[in-house]
Amino acid sequence: MTEKIKPANAQSTQDSQSEQDVQGVQSSQSTQSTQDSKKQASLVAIIVTAVIAIAGIALWIFQLTDGMVNTNMRNLDSWGLYIIMFMLFVGLSAGGLIISSVPRVFGIRGFGAIGKVATWVSICCTVLAVAFVVVDLGGPLRLWELVAYANISSPLMWDIIVLTLYLIISIVYLWATIRTDNGTGSPKVLRILSVFALIAAVLVHTVTAWIFGLQIAHEFWYTALLGPWFVSSALVSGLALVLVVAAILRKSGRLELENKDYSRMVMLLGVFTAVDLYFFGCDLLTSGFPGGTGADIVALLTTGVLAPYFWFEVVSGAITMIIAFSPSLRRPSLIVLASVISIVAILCKRIQLLIGGFQIANIQHATVSSGPALSESGQAFANVAPALVYFPSALEFGIVIGVLSLGAFLLLLGLRMLPLLPANLQN
Amino acid sequence: MAEQRLGMVIDMKGCIACSSCAMACKIENNLPDENWWNRVLTVGGENRDTPSGTYPNLSMESMTLACQHCENPACTRVCPVGATVKREEDGVVLQDYDKCIGCRMCIAACPYTGVRSFNWEEPKYCLPFATGDADVPSHQKHVVEKCTFCNHRLAKGEAPACIEPCPARVRFFGDLNDPSSEVSKLISSRKYQQLLVERGTNPSIYYLV
Ligand code: SF4
Ligand code: SF4
Repeated sequence: MTEKIKPANAQSTQDSQSEQDVQGVQSSQSTQSTQDSKKQASLVAIIVTAVIAIAGIALWIFQLTDGMVNTNMRNLDSWGLYIIMFMLFVGLSAGGLIISSVPRVFGIRGFGAIGKVATWVSICCTVLAVAFVVVDLGGPLRLWELVAYANISSPLMWDIIVLTLYLIISIVYLWATIRTDNGTGSPKVLRILSVFALIAAVLVHTVTAWIFGLQIAHEFWYTALLGPWFVSSALVSGLALVLVVAAILRKSGRLELENKDYSRMVMLLGVFTAVDLYFFGCDLLTSGFPGGTGADIVALLTTGVLAPYFWFEVVSGAITMIIAFSPSLRRPSLIVLASVISIVAILCKRIQLLIGGFQIANIQHATVSSGPALSESGQAFANVAPALVYFPSALEFGIVIGVLSLGAFLLLLGLRMLPLLPANLQN
Repeated sequence: MAEQRLGMVIDMKGCIACSSCAMACKIENNLPDENWWNRVLTVGGENRDTPSGTYPNLSMESMTLACQHCENPACTRVCPVGATVKREEDGVVLQDYDKCIGCRMCIAACPYTGVRSFNWEEPKYCLPFATGDADVPSHQKHVVEKCTFCNHRLAKGEAPACIEPCPARVRFFGDLNDPSSEVSKLISSRKYQQLLVERGTNPSIYYLV
């Protein structure tokens, strides 16, 4: 069995193969000590992330007591970075569950040992998505009202219900996978669960899209395409995240993953990216073709203030597809590059969607504003040039870092406490 | 069908942009600093009270904007806790500060830019005492608020506070479902406009043009 540890130190300790064979005993001792130091490093990381997360909570309490006036959200751009991150993380949660459930649902070959880690990553992302909605609320102490006075015609209510179900299903699914792998659970039950997990995953992205896509008030948002488009973006970012996590775990020797599986995943990433950009193209054409206000939106994205975000998304999509579809370029380093830019590209897309929705006001006549209408950043530029109506404040960045640390904390804790990795590589 | 559909008719031809209605609203409802439920807009010009066009072909027009108390409101449907609802008896769209969780979904949903406002901090007042009607619910931090058609005055059978102070007498209030009401007669005899009709909200504010 000790032979199985090979990939672990082959990569991390840089011990040469022959040395290891000759000095078998010493090598296994050094493995022991690297594993100990790794264990210690992960403990330190867990503590550090916990401390940053707590600092984030302190900032959030400050936001609640001193007022959301400390954010740069204002009446004419009433959502900001938190909701951007919410959209991003709902999307990021897609990858893991899809990677582990799709092969099982359709009975095709899986992607190797990554399944359980990927599901755990999904769960952490879902928790973060919920956290980002909560920090955006003015009155989180009134959250109980969501149960008491639920207004089921609200897309936000739908999303809260579906997100909760999604979280529960993901957790049950992970638990069932672990049990089945231990030989105590039934594969049949697991397969049924994976069907539910897949349905929940598709639903959660669609319903999140409806928070925006059903708003007649914002021409940029109001499109039937938004649902499927959110699913495709979710697949891009979610799969990219799984690829990054897999690369890190592989590098640290905690995961054995065949190159073939890794390549198959990045090809899938290329396909998802193509679909996502195709949807974007369809949407732009539909908006722009009749001219009028729709053309203003196209101009806003392609040549206006949101152009940097738009072009980053397009160019990075092109690069991702080139890497994914050329066998000679499917090298680990390039795959990680493609994955990272894919996640950033989807973040750019969320930024375009959110800020773009508020950028063009329906009624633009000059008036006094009710309450500060724009954040300082918006105000400062409003007269000079049509700049962004919104840019996050330091407090918003601080709280976002806090929430992200909470995610890192959960992720590390899970890797340490749960049997997510193949037993022989677990430290 | 609702028994009543309370609404307003505002004659844009006569509005002199004096802001009396906006001030009356502010005082009546004891609005916090910088908060205006009803505002005067200058149509066309780049800044307030500036004409549009180039000299000598200038024109200037003003209109007032507040919640349109839509017959088919976009805001009430999206509120997850029902903190903003349309009262079926008279069609007034109301806001419950005690219920609102501050998610700002309604601000995103309302097509009429800026009629809903969020209290981004503890409400502040430039005067050391409260103004207006004592029956007005007190303002809260981190909730959304907007024009209520002076719900507290409706309860006493009075029209909203912005109607009477208009020196040009261009603001009218009444039941749009009653064909004999002043507002119904005005819109049946004059050319009118509703804002953003294409959004399907069917606002209850009619602008005579
Ligand atoms: S104007 Fe806006 S806030 Fe007022 S009822 Fe219509 S949708 Fe709701
Ligand atoms: S901000 Fe308040 S009133 Fe508006 S949708 Fe949210 S809970 Fe409802």
